[in-house]
Amino acid sequence: MSDATIEVRDLRKRFGRTVAVDGLSFTVQPGTVTGFVGPNGAGKSTTMRAILGLDAPDQGTALIGGRPYRDLRTPLLEVGALLDAAALHPSRRGRDHLRWLAHSHGLPTHRVDEVLEQVGMDKAARRRAGGYSLGMRQRLGIAAALLGDPPVLLLDEPVNGLDPEGIQWIRTLLRRLAAEGRAVLVSSHLMSELEDTADHLVVIGRGRLIADRAVADLLAAASGDRVRLRTAARTEALELLAREGGTVTVTDRETLTVTGLPVERIVELLSEARVPVTEVGAHRATLEEAYMELTREAVEFGSSPDGEEVTP
Amino acid sequence: MTTTLTPYRSRLHPARAGFARLLRAEWAKFWTVRAWLLVLAVAAAVTVVISQLGASGSIDTGAGELIAGPDGTVVRDAFRFTHRPLTGDGSITVRVTGLKGVRGGLESWAKAGIIVKKDLRPGSPYAAVLGTPDHGVRMQWNFTQDTAGSTADVASAPRWLRLTRKGDLLTGYESADGRTWTKIKEVRLDGLPRTVEVGPFVATPDHQKLHRSFGGTSETSGGGEVTGTFGHLSLRGTSAAARWTSTDVSGPIPAGVREGATGRTAVSASGSYTLTGHGDIAPDETVGDTVQMSFQGVFVGVLFMVALGALFVTSEYKRGLIRTTFTATPGRVRVLAAKTLVIATVTFVVGLIATAVAFPLAQSRLRANGYKPPAFPDYSLLDATALRAVVGSAVLLSLVAVLALAVGALVRSSAGTIATVLVLVILPQILAFALPLPTAHWLLRLTPAAAYAIQQGLTYYPQVEHNCLPESGCYPMAPWNGLLVLVAYAAVALLLAGWRLRRRDV
Repeated sequence: MSDATIEVRDLRKRFGRTVAVDGLSFTVQPGTVTGFVGPNGAGKSTTMRAILGLDAPDQGTALIGGRPYRDLRTPLLEVGALLDAAALHPSRRGRDHLRWLAHSHGLPTHRVDEVLEQVGMDKAARRRAGGYSLGMRQRLGIAAALLGDPPVLLLDEPVNGLDPEGIQWIRTLLRRLAAEGRAVLVSSHLMSELEDTADHLVVIGRGRLIADRAVADLLAAASGDRVRLRTAARTEALELLAREGGTVTVTDRETLTVTGLPVERIVELLSEARVPVTEVGAHRATLEEAYMELTREAVEFGSSPDGEEVTP
Repeated sequence: MTTTLTPYRSRLHPARAGFARLLRAEWAKFWTVRAWLLVLAVAAAVTVVISQLGASGSIDTGAGELIAGPDGTVVRDAFRFTHRPLTGDGSITVRVTGLKGVRGGLESWAKAGIIVKKDLRPGSPYAAVLGTPDHGVRMQWNFTQDTAGSTADVASAPRWLRLTRKGDLLTGYESADGRTWTKIKEVRLDGLPRTVEVGPFVATPDHQKLHRSFGGTSETSGGGEVTGTFGHLSLRGTSAAARWTSTDVSGPIPAGVREGATGRTAVSASGSYTLTGHGDIAPDETVGDTVQMSFQGVFVGVLFMVALGALFVTSEYKRGLIRTTFTATPGRVRVLAAKTLVIATVTFVVGLIATAVAFPLAQSRLRANGYKPPAFPDYSLLDATALRAVVGSAVLLSLVAVLALAVGALVRSSAGTIATVLVLVILPQILAFALPLPTAHWLLRLTPAAAYAIQQGLTYYPQVEHNCLPESGCYPMAPWNGLLVLVAYAAVALLLAGWRLRRRDV
């Protein structure tokens, strides 16, 4: 195990009668962006606070480079964290916020200006934080995380509140930070935010680990041998294919997803029975669908009956 | 799938190690919030301005009404004195056979004894050996000085007293039988002339009664009169007069005494002397405390300091900034220490500027209003009493800020913290003006409000019975002891806060 990693082992934390994190274990590798995903309330923030030594776990350990956070002597140089972009004093200038952080580690003021420029806040940072948009706060929070040039980054929902241009910017930034050899852990409750960004996913629900896999693996598994077909005669198609041994799910008013039958057999069956079909094709899962499948069991907040969407 | 790369290492190196950089960070946090600097400036300005308003009372000290003792202390010096001049060394002996109140009641500090006094002018130096009903036999001199002898009660059993003069040295003795003598004390009275007045005397403080309930205080005081009986009066030494003369050494006539009340001296056939008189020989504690009067603004300044101390920590909790703080410095107790040091220094320096400006201004205002020498001392900023009150008030302002900071770290909410600290610091002060005196005194001993004792300029002597009224600026504790109460509160709050911070999740 190299220095620059986050290592969570059998972490357990309860608040009163609610178990927030329940025996969670995972590792974040250097050089990768690891997505930390789960619905709201799944225990992501609690886990992150435990890693940062803010919450004391009831059981288990959370280590940075093999050491508990509280033992780090220059923590900002080892871990950069963004927990809550709103954690700013409204009448303090953004630059002054970074300056006290820099002072706490004896870092020079020009380092503050460097990171401000890096996140595109060099001008706005001279204004009071009270007037910042959510996007500006996120950028300032990321600047604070980068201040110590740390090998490990821990960002809680950094995409929140960013405009499309900002989202593009942060994706590029995260990829670049990982490419430099840093371990980057990014949490999100929306899988789509991590599409094209994360190499690896740690999925949790109700405080438990659901998946700890490379994104590529996950997509391949989720796509499976599913066939998507569009038909006006939904009921006939459904009954016919089910009788022939397929597992059929209604995806939409005119769309069905079939597993257990090869495409050729489906086309053959449907044309024999003269069921009109407008479209047949092998299905390619999105990250969102892969996630949905994984979390179906663990979802805590409102999901529609046919599993179409998870409302965060 | 997982790319193996050389793990990244920060290219930065912390320039300075340890607590100093943490202090610098907390200081940077403080001065970068403009509202806090503004609160500090307003705190100082308000302290100065309110102190001027508070010092606007005036007093008319008619000529001759106030008597200054040998050291300048304002004193009462009225008693029935039966005397003869004594030239050179000598001694006076008497047997006190009784002490009783003319109209029944007897004050605990009523006095019957013998005295050696420079002359008959009120306020002149003296030394006396005397008996009291409740405080035993005492030797007292020059008003402020007092030494206890035996606990014999002259009102119930006769007691022999003796006072000898040898140059500037005066020695007091007492005896149960007139044969075996016990020395009470030997004192030096500077500047005594060759010829002094000596003889038996009686005196009694005014009878004071205080009724207090919410809404009002009524103070009734009546001039008491006492009768003391003396036997075996003998004077050894050279006296220019062959006979005893009686005089009412009179300072101010105590309020409530019948107009024209005069003392009486009777001699019986057996040579027993009966003296009846009123008045007292003691420091006068009813004059105003001009030092305390100069710090009224501090009561208001405290409000701002409490808010500042509280906000310095609670504003971080309110916005979750405390997590950033503890992420940057996982040693939470160190963070608390740094915050405490920053807020204590800032509030002390600003508080000191405020009180050092307010005090001389208030003093000159009071002088203009009649609070002037000789009745009232002319304090400069560097007089021990003034300096203690000025620096002590700044320490007080700083300590309440620290207390608020510590409570803030425990309570976490701004409103809760400010309310808690104000209840601790301000409420006892307000209640002390209204509650029955014993309760009020306990409040001012047990709560942080005890610290205001540091502003006391008057010395309250144990040999004077007085109703220590909080509204007159009297606090039941000695100045530094009072301040220590606040120190203890702040220290305990800090310890609790440190202990909680280590354990609690943030």
